[in-house]
This record gives sequence, structure tokens and C-alpha cells, in this order.
Amino acid sequence: MSRPAPRDTREIIREEPLMHRPILKAVANGPLTVPEIAEAIGCPSNETLYWVMGMRRYGLLTESKEPTDEGFFTYAAVGGGVSS
Amino acid sequence: MDYDVLVVGAGIAGMESAIKLGDMGKKVLLVEKEGSVGGRVILLSKVFPTLDCASCITTPRMATSIHHDNITAMTYTDIKAIHRGSDGTFKATVHQKARYVDEAACTGCQLCETACTVAVPDQFNYDLIARRAAYITFPQAVPKKAVIEREGTSPCTDTCPAGIKAHGYVSLIRNGKYEEAFQLVLDATPLVGTLGRACYAPCEGECTRGDLEGTLPIRRLKRFIADRHYAEQDGPGVVAAEPNGKAVAIVGSGPAGLTAAWQLARLGYRVRIFEADKEPGGFLRYALPTYRLPKEVVDQDISNVTALGVEIATNSPVQDPDALKLDGYDAVLIATGTPLSSSMGVPGEQLRGVLGGLDFLRDVRHDLVPDLKGKRVVIVGGGNVAMDAARTARRLGAAETLVAYRRGREEMPAHKAEVDDAEAEGVQFRFLVAPVEVVGDAQGKVTGVKCQRMELGQPDASGRRRPQPVAGSDFVIPCDIVVAAIGMSPDTASFARLLTLGEGRRIKVDPKTLQTEVPYLFAAGDVVLGPSDITTAVGQGRRAAHMMDRWLQGLEMSGFFALDDRLGVIDKAKVMARQKSFNHRDPVTLTLGHDKAPADFHEIEPALTEEEALRGAGSCLDCGVCSECGQCVAACPPNAIDLNMHEKTFDVEIGTVVLATGFKLFDATLKEDYGFGRFPNVITATQMDRQLAPTRPFNTVLRPSDGRVPDRIAYVSCVGSRDKTVGNPLCSKICCMYTAKQNQLIMGALPLADVSVHYMDVRAAGKRYEEFYEQAKAMGANYIKGRVAKITELENGNLVLRYEDIDNGGQITEAEYDLVVLAVGVQPSREAEKLFPDESLTLDDFFFVAEADEDLSSGETNLPGVYVAGTASGAKDIVDSILHAGSAVAQAAAHLETVNAKKVPV
Repeated sequence: MSRPAPRDTREIIREEPLMHRPILKAVANGPLTVPEIAEAIGCPSNETLYWVMGMRRYGLLTESKEPTDEGFFTYAAVGGGVSS
Repeated sequence: MDYDVLVVGAGIAGMESAIKLGDMGKKVLLVEKEGSVGGRVILLSKVFPTLDCASCITTPRMATSIHHDNITAMTYTDIKAIHRGSDGTFKATVHQKARYVDEAACTGCQLCETACTVAVPDQFNYDLIARRAAYITFPQAVPKKAVIEREGTSPCTDTCPAGIKAHGYVSLIRNGKYEEAFQLVLDATPLVGTLGRACYAPCEGECTRGDLEGTLPIRRLKRFIADRHYAEQDGPGVVAAEPNGKAVAIVGSGPAGLTAAWQLARLGYRVRIFEADKEPGGFLRYALPTYRLPKEVVDQDISNVTALGVEIATNSPVQDPDALKLDGYDAVLIATGTPLSSSMGVPGEQLRGVLGGLDFLRDVRHDLVPDLKGKRVVIVGGGNVAMDAARTARRLGAAETLVAYRRGREEMPAHKAEVDDAEAEGVQFRFLVAPVEVVGDAQGKVTGVKCQRMELGQPDASGRRRPQPVAGSDFVIPCDIVVAAIGMSPDTASFARLLTLGEGRRIKVDPKTLQTEVPYLFAAGDVVLGPSDITTAVGQGRRAAHMMDRWLQGLEMSGFFALDDRLGVIDKAKVMARQKSFNHRDPVTLTLGHDKAPADFHEIEPALTEEEALRGAGSCLDCGVCSECGQCVAACPPNAIDLNMHEKTFDVEIGTVVLATGFKLFDATLKEDYGFGRFPNVITATQMDRQLAPTRPFNTVLRPSDGRVPDRIAYVSCVGSRDKTVGNPLCSKICCMYTAKQNQLIMGALPLADVSVHYMDVRAAGKRYEEFYEQAKAMGANYIKGRVAKITELENGNLVLRYEDIDNGGQITEAEYDLVVLAVGVQPSREAEKLFPDESLTLDDFFFVAEADEDLSSGETNLPGVYVAGTASGAKDIVDSILHAGSAVAQAAAHLETVNAKKVPV
């Protein structure tokens, strides 16, 4: 085992609304990959993916057309994100 | 008969059965437990071996099953029981769950979903992504109607005597919607700031998080949104309805009166409050010390009421409600509370220095501050007023403040926090003592309280142990001031001419309507209940306003959904059972730096910071799922959402039954060596199918640990099937072929990806199945024979599979992948057998519904007139499920002929 066991999925997903602001703040200066967003908000990448995808689903984030050379898409705020 | 056939389950077999029977002219009731028909097939990417789009082949059947003239389809509905009648028919008990959405009005626009503040795992994406508590089942749903998922009223909301939606405002705060949270509380009462400080927060006592590491700071969250609103907004932000030409008088401006005024003014009534004192607020202003509830907060809350045009006439006691009627008021609410301090009933009460508890507090608020500096004060009583009086005395400089109470600490009616805070501020306590006389000097001034010791006997009507005097135990507590805080009572003598007074001179009302025996007169709050608390009085004010409005409109006096006829409270055990584990979260706690000798009346409780508010709200477990925040209601253009909707249960008579209850998937966490649920990049094939579908949860196929597009993907076959270690020796029949299908789709979606399949043997028994499997290999899928023993995770989230490589000499080999897909098997759903309480539906050795003769009478169960279609009787692919449904349909139609032959023609 190289990392702590993931938290219960329901618990992670329940926090999505709470993470909208920090994630939008993280991408305010430009699109980021999931690991980059995770680092910016200080949370695990696997949990950040749930939040990013939930935000994408409900129109808060949008992905880049192509992935980076490392295979990561970047995600940007729809409509410019938050100012704070 | 109501219907010829009941079809249970609207997956591919259920829809096929219903459509075929409908085409035959049979009247069919099709019942589906989810919000849409379509079952599992509609969730697939494509189907094998044709690679046809699953939606393309399924949606026409979904539409037909809903719109067919002979089919009545009920979604979000289940069957509670099926009983056999004596004439060969059946009686089925149908349970239509409440969608909380008017299906006829809902346009499927999904604005409710976007507005919803509660995120839950999306079971239709196998938990890969969040959906909302308000949701459309899936994009191709038929009917495309929203569902609001409510499992019950959350305990915090359920317990609030004011009917304030605590879960709702917590959820809004979590979403950063502070003003919306304020407005949600404001919808119940104008006293948001007051309740944020002075409510005793029964919600926190019921908070499920309290069973873990500690309750949410629900009351302080309310204060947070109130403080924020008053700092940022001018006025309540609420517009009253157009004047309706009617007028209401409210006597008393405490929490019940102010709340009723607020509610009635919003409805367009002209409201005037008559307050006996010189400033409005009643108990809030005069009984609660400012260190608990600052005067400015009361003023801010009252300004909400006056902003709607409510007039408050101060120094205006009302003796005769009849006169108000004659002045043109259409109805009158009496909400005068309990302003009188109760007497101790002992000699010496007339001495100088004896004060009533409420009188003492009121004098302080009127700036008639008694000089207590250096004096010894005895407070008699153990309630909240006694605590307030004691702490006020400390602030006024009393040298000693002693609370004398006739029972023990545990029996004190004051809230524990109040007692603890009083003690922390230097208040002393003497328990099991009762006053028998106030003693004084020759000048008529108090010098002490003679008390007698008490002991506790048997519990009385209140449940507390009854104090009994100890003979000969009298003693005197020397003091200069005695404050008698032993009770409060209403001042209703002037109303006795019109109204019947009950126990304690309280006004008698109908408890549901709060109407008195004089129809235009209503009464609410402590004048009805006796001493209660602010929040209960607020609830009474809301109820009174609702009922007065109904009465004034000539409507039935019912429909007070804020507190009556609500959805039952959710069982906390059910909430806790939703998760396998709970991570610890530091609760937001309150630590007050009490001063042993407090010198002023400044507010002592600090406000929550925004960080604390978000952290506190973020701990909410969403007990009832839907928070009742009301955002969906506000967002819905056709006003289709009705959170007061109720489930329906009714019986139907039917001729025959087709069970199409489907299957469930193997729980891959049971194969612990494969790490599903522990390693994010181990997923199931159903999750992969969702990733490959056009309505996929992600933008493309991604690995869940970090969102990277995977390069090397492995499949592990036979997970939970052909495996006696998990109790399922059966082949699931579909796994080999859906693996081959997904291999091909992945290579189309991710042309650079390598796909390997770790298998025992491949079963491709079906028309063109073998060719389909060969096609996958030809496209590049690498089939490796040998069962995988174990999967381990590397630091970067990659996974190492350890397996026996049979084709290469059987050596133990390890291979590293980015993503591992478990081809999980099919298991019986175990739903069908529960439907027949009076008879036993026979299951096979593996708990699928048994067929009487699989070879010769496919679809026939052991119960005459009951047939099974599709995977309820065993693992099948889509083609076989449809064929099997056809067999069940033929059997059911034939049976109907015998039923109809027995019955008298209509």
C-alpha cells in the first residue's frame, strides 16, 4: 500500500459543493490538470477528480480539447470563474 | 380486473413483455422502481456483437412502453405485495413513491438539478460521479421528469419547534449561498439574528454528526448568516403581496407576535402590533440579557417586520380585543406571553429587596438598575430566568450571587450550558434548599432567606424527583437582595370576559388552529402554552398566521406543512449505514473565555468566522438527502416541485404477473485481493461501460486516481462468477463478450492504449460471438490466460497484477498497468421472492427465480399465473432476455385466457 485507503465515496462527493470555491479559485489564473488542482487546494487527486467532474457536469468547469503530453486534460472555469 | 397483466420491472425484459402484451390487446400495468424505464441496458455504451448504440435500440422501446395505449407505466413505484384471489386473479399493492415533482408540469429542463445544493453518488454512473438530490434519472430518461430524493426529514429540521429548515440553511451555507440561507430562515421568522443567539438549538441535540465526533454548530451558523445579511443588506429583501384589504391586530410583540405579523404582512394583510411596553420585542428585549442577545440584534430583526409596513404601537396595552374588532380589524391575535413573575408564597415577600425574576431583568433593560455593588444576592429558582438573573447580578457588581434551588443540579430546568456558564462567571449554587421565609430588619429591609433542606423522593408528573422537606433543617442564608425566579405566568385577567382561561390562566385554544372560542380571536405563544422558549413561540406565531389567513379566506383550517403532516424523520441508523467508514472531522466547538467577575453586558459568544462556518456546514451528513433548501422550487419555471407531496399506496386487481426484476452485480469489494474500493484505479466493467458511453461521466476514459488518460489497461475476467470462494460457481455469460466489446471501444476511443485481458477461458456462445471475440484480438487486445492472484498499487497509482502465465509455461508473472477493469459477474436480485407473502416463489440453487421446466416451459414459475422474464431467472445477454420475455409473454397470455374463461364477462 502506497497511500491511505480512499475515503468513502459518499463522503467525498458530499463535499463537492464545499470545494467549488477553492477549485474555482485555483483555476482562476488559467486551466489546470486534476493533479495541479489537487495540489493547489491541498487535497488528494482521486478526491479532486470527483469534484472536478461534478463541477464539469453542472457547468462550472470545462475541459481542454486535447490532453497534455502527459495524458492530462486541463480544466478551466466556465465564464471566467471567481474573482476571490 | 383493473389490468390484465402486472409487469414488475421495466428493464429490457419488462419493457419487451409489456409491449408485446399491449400489442396483443392486454391491459398492462408496468411498474418500475427507478424514475425511468430502461433498466441497465440504457446505461450501456453499445451492445455486442453488433456494436449498435445501446440508446438507439433501447429508447424506442422505452418510449413505446410509456406511450402505448394498453400500457400504464408507473415509474418511481414498487410493488409491496401480491396476493392471490379465490377467482384466479391477483391483488397487488402498489406503492407510488413521492417524486415531489408534478410529472404533468415538469418539462425535464434540469434547472432544479443545477440549483440543488446536495451532492450524492450517482448510482446510474455506478458512483463514478456526483449527481444532485434533485435529478433526472439519466439523460435519456423516459419519462424525462425530475425526482427529488427524500428519504425522510432530517433530524435537525424535524425537531425544530419553529419548523425552520435547519438542514436547508446548512446546505446553502456549504454552497456559499449565505443570503439564500438567510432568506430560508426568514421565510419562517423575522428573528434570524435572535434565534442565531438565543435559541436552545434542539437541532444540535438531534444532529447525527453528534453521534460521531460532535454536532454541527447549527445555531451559530444561523447567527453567521444573520450577521452577514445585516452587515451587507439594507432591509429584508422580501416584498409583501399586494394589500388584500384585510386588517389584523396583534397584541404583544414577542417572538410569537412578531413572527405572526411578519407572515401575515407578507400575505398582504395590514398588520398593527399593540405592545404594552415602551419598546417592542417583549421577552426578547426585556427578559434576555444583552450579553446573550444584544439590543441591536433585536432591533435588526424587528426592522424586518416594519420594513413590510407593519405598524408597532408601543405603550399600548390592550384590555378589550372587542374594541379592536370594532376598530375594523378582521382578526386579532393575542400573543402577550407570560410577563408576570410568580410569587414564592412565603412570608416576607413584601420586604424591600425582594424582586421577581422577570421584573429584575426588565428593570435592568429599562435602565432602572438596582445598586448591587458589594451586595449579597440570592436567586431562588433553577430555570433559565434564574440563570439570567444570577449572571446579570454578577455584572451589576454583586459581591456574592447564590442560586438556591429545591432540587439537585441534574433536575434543574435551566439548560446545562446556562448553568455551566453561570458557574464559570462566579455564581454559586446551593441545591436541595427551599425558601420558607424572607427575613428582614426593623426597617423592612431584607437580611436573609430562611430555607429548609430538602431531599428527593419519587418522581412527580414532570419526571423529576419530587423534593420533600427535611424536618427541623431550617437555616438562614444572609443576603441583601432576593430574586424570586421560580416561574412566570400570563397576564390574561382582562381577557376573561371574552375567553375561557385554562390552567395557569392560560388562554384555551384549538391546538391545531390556535383559534379561541371567539372565532376572530386567536392566541399563540406562552400565553397559550405557559413558559416555553423563543423557538416554540416562533412556531406558534407561524401557525397562528397560517390559520388566521385560512380563516379570513374562508378556507379549511389545515395545510400547515411547516410543522404538520411532514415526511417522517429519517432513521439515524439508516444514515450511518450509507457509508462504510467516516473520516474524523474536527468539530467547530465553542469555548467561552468566562470572566469570574464580569463587569459589563457585552455579547460574550464570538461569531463564527467564514472558515468555521464552511467547515461546520461541510460536516453535514445530509441525513434526509434532500435538504429542503428550496433552491429547486425557486428555479423551476413551471412550479412543478411540491415538497409536501405524499407517497400513495393502493391496490389493483390483475389477471397475471410477469416478474422482470433483473439482476444485481457482484460486489467487487468482496474480492479483497483485487483492491476494488481501496485502489482508485481498479474499477468495474460497468463503470468502464459508463466511461465509454456517449453520456459518460468524464470527458473521456480517465483513471480515477488523477484524471490521466490511461495507456495500459488490464481486464480481469470472471470476478464474482465461476468462483466458489464467493459462493457463485455459475458463469455470468455476458462478461466475456462485454469485455470484448469494451476492448474494441477503448481502442477506438484511445487509439494508443494497450489493452490486455487476463482470463481463464473465453465463452463466446452465440451468433457471431466468436467472430466478435476474434475481432477484439485482431484489433490488438492481448488475451493472457491465467487467473490473477493479487493486485497491488504503486506510489503513482499504477497497479501490478500478479498471475500465472499459463501460455508461457505457467510461470508466476507480474505486469504493471495504469487502470484495471474487473469483469464483474451477475447475481440474483432477490427482489421477486419478497412480493408474495402468502405463497412461496421457488428459487433455484443459486437464488434466481426457478422455472418449472427451463427446457419445455420457459418463463413459468411454480406459482400458477406468475411468470418470469429475463435475468430474474438467471444470467442472460440482451438477446436472450428478449427471447425469454417472449416466452413469458406467451405463457401469461395463455393463462389470461383461462382466467377470463372463469370470470363472468363484463
